[in-house]
Amino acid sequence: MPDTIIEAHGLKRYYYRGSETVKALDGVDLSIRTGEIVSILGPSGSGKTTLINLLSCLDAPTEGTLMMAGQSVAGLSEDELVEVRRGVLGFVFQQFSLLPTLTVSENVELPLMFLRRRTDARRTAEVLRMVGLSDRASHLPRELSGGQMQRVAIARALIVDPKILVADEPTGNLDKATGESIIALFKHLAADKGLAILITTHNPVFGYETDRAITLEDGRIVKEENLRKER
Amino acid sequence: MEETIQDPFVLRRYVVLATKNLRRRPVRTGLTVAGVALAVTVAVSLGGFMLGYRGAIDKSIKMLGYQVMIMAKGCPYEAATMMLKGGTGLLYLPGDTYQQVKSDPDIENITPIFVGVVEKQASSIRDEGAASNFTIISGIDVPSFLVMKPWLGFKQGPGYANGRWFTPGSKDEVVLGFEAAEYEQRKVGDSFYASITPAGKPNPVMYQFTVVGVLERTGTQDDGTVFLPIDATREYFNRPNQLTILGIKLKEFSSFKMREFETRWLKLPEVQVVGLQQVKNTLVNLVATAQTMIAAVAAIAVIVALIGVINTILMSVYERTAEIGIMKALGARRGSIFQLIWLETLMVCFVGALVGSAMAVIGAGLVETAIKGLADLGVSGSIVQITPALVGYTVLVAVVLGFFAGLYPAWCAASMRPVEAIGKGG
Repeated sequence: MPDTIIEAHGLKRYYYRGSETVKALDGVDLSIRTGEIVSILGPSGSGKTTLINLLSCLDAPTEGTLMMAGQSVAGLSEDELVEVRRGVLGFVFQQFSLLPTLTVSENVELPLMFLRRRTDARRTAEVLRMVGLSDRASHLPRELSGGQMQRVAIARALIVDPKILVADEPTGNLDKATGESIIALFKHLAADKGLAILITTHNPVFGYETDRAITLEDGRIVKEENLRKER
Repeated sequence: MEETIQDPFVLRRYVVLATKNLRRRPVRTGLTVAGVALAVTVAVSLGGFMLGYRGAIDKSIKMLGYQVMIMAKGCPYEAATMMLKGGTGLLYLPGDTYQQVKSDPDIENITPIFVGVVEKQASSIRDEGAASNFTIISGIDVPSFLVMKPWLGFKQGPGYANGRWFTPGSKDEVVLGFEAAEYEQRKVGDSFYASITPAGKPNPVMYQFTVVGVLERTGTQDDGTVFLPIDATREYFNRPNQLTILGIKLKEFSSFKMREFETRWLKLPEVQVVGLQQVKNTLVNLVATAQTMIAAVAAIAVIVALIGVINTILMSVYERTAEIGIMKALGARRGSIFQLIWLETLMVCFVGALVGSAMAVIGAGLVETAIKGLADLGVSGSIVQITPALVGYTVLVAVVLGFFAGLYPAWCAASMRPVEAIGKGG
């Protein structure tokens, strides 16, 4: 039986604009297991990004409890959240967010600099091979296609051996075929490396390719579907 | 595979990343570096001038050979200039001053000098303009003069062999300083013509002299001087009993002895006693106001350059807001972001300081020519002296200022909340 790596109870995130309270997330219970791919679906403004920001320790909840890899993160300061993120979480963003002046391998190795870890050419080559970009190591981002840039971003997330991979709209800027190849890559990483993968997407086609789909509306979970059994 | 080996050289990777970040906007970075470089050029040139000018004064004073000068009362600036470079506003001491002063028990050596201005005749082809047709003549008593300046020697080589001082009683022999000979294109045995207007006479008289020696270069006012025997000079100027300067070397030169000596001889009418420290202070004061103004301009240039640096780095930070958010998401602590942005600032200042120092070194000759062209500072030799220590000090100051200039942009970047920063990029 796989271990639970993320566990959230009663997760709330409110924003205050003068006298108005915006309930971006209003009581979410969720658990994610090692090796599981979970998609978060929902229209714009449903709370997807807020939820993923909380689950990736980029933001702190207003209320509720959150356990990441066995550690409670509720009430932690921003500096303490950084420590939780380091080495546990890997990130992939919709806009790829590669540094334009760094080569593919330098982009991939960037998180190691922040962790003060020594780079290892073999390890870099290994993660590039995992994402199918072994022949692009010395290229600059502008020399790559959108799909290739997203693969570099995935390799950059993998270089620190994370336990959880968080991907915010990873297929949002990609065509259908490229998007499918990215989802296929995620499936492979979850199966092969035991990574827990959390994906937000507007596209239900990609969302239903995962193990579990969670649909949000107005900051609440309105539907949770276990897709692994159905497939 | 274990990936937790710590990198002891991680700073090098920050430097590489900072360099690449700066190269993303080469024109903007280049202009900012140019601003710093310009400010540093001004600062190094000014420092070089301050250093060189004081050095030139010290050297000129040392190469005088004497520490104290007695001369007719007059403008202290003129006195200082006269002492170091010769001058044209000539006043004369009564002839018996020499006899009175030389018996002073504190004097080790004393030499009388008569300075006069003559109009050169049949001069070299380099003379272009009326002003350049005049030159200063020093009438000297060779034995006592050489006791003061034992380093004076004669230039050797073809055309300069057998250089010597005047024969006793000679009236038509001259010895030329190194530059005077080069300027006049004269060698040993050549003639030197000069018109002298005797005191109390309306018309000048032309004399022909023979060059009997050309001195080696000394780097002092002696290089540009034409030397004649003192008695002959006084006779030509019709001032048989007068002197311009008494150069004096004391047995013990201290502030106390100098004051004692000064007090003793200020009792003579129409006499001023000028010590080398006084000369130095006078000359330093002469340019102090100008130096203060240039220093103010340099300070303003430095402040403007620093504002430019802060502005550039801040713009760069705001342009990279999302990127900074991503780096934080990837594990960068506040300190990591602070370090990166701070390094960028320091590198702009460091490179600007190096470029500015190089420009100052390359342009030192031009600065010297410009300063000498603008004003007669009363000293010979190089007045802009850019030393490695000066360059090192200036670069250090630029980096320290960069250290402070980088604090605010680095703090802004480090304080960004990742969730908001990433959202701004979206």
